[in-house]
Amino acid sequence: MWNSMKSVQLSFVCTRIVIALTVLSAVWTATPLGRHRLTASLGYAERAGAENAQTPLIMGLYYACCIPALVALLCLDRLLGNIKKERVFVEENVKALRTISWCCFAEALLFAAAALYYAHILLVPAIAMAFFGLILRVVKNVIDAAVSLKTENDFTI
Amino acid sequence: MSIRINLDVVMAHKKISAGELAEKIGITPANLSVLKNNKAKAIRFSTLEELCRALECQPGDILEYETEE
Repeated sequence: MWNSMKSVQLSFVCTRIVIALTVLSAVWTATPLGRHRLTASLGYAERAGAENAQTPLIMGLYYACCIPALVALLCLDRLLGNIKKERVFVEENVKALRTISWCCFAEALLFAAAALYYAHILLVPAIAMAFFGLILRVVKNVIDAAVSLKTENDFTI
Repeated sequence: MSIRINLDVVMAHKKISAGELAEKIGITPANLSVLKNNKAKAIRFSTLEELCRALECQPGDILEYETEE
């Protein structure tokens, strides 16, 4: 029978898989084939034997995007770990949500920069990330208010 | 905080231990400690009633209002 605990467990497993995929993708992109695939996807395919002048910039942007993504995923992992331990309305979770929200805004900025220089289609994920960040900020504010209510309730004797 | 709990004073006056009082009023020693150390955000009327009954005192003996400077 499906229940909320199994749902949390599924989210936990999915988060761990995405963390592993992000790390693997970062490692794969460092290889010549991965680098070629990344630059080609933005229309800057490397010629055989000659590195494209845009490659270092594209790689830099890609790895810059990986950092907030990994930070957000690790925060999500910690958040889900707390939910599994039935510690939902705690200050630590508010902090994790705040960090994830800032990571979304950082990704939005990086995608916007990439959209400006490389492919305008990247503006769509940039807007989406900014929107996620905004939603997460609101959720963070709600959880923060719930933490205050819980603290008051816990300290009512 | 402008409301002070003088529970330790009343307890000393009545010569009653924290564990004994907690048992008498039906709250955990941890919660009594929160109350005694002025860490509580609020107190239920039922708890106050039990405290007054166990310590044979008035709410005013336990709670004191302090003007903030």
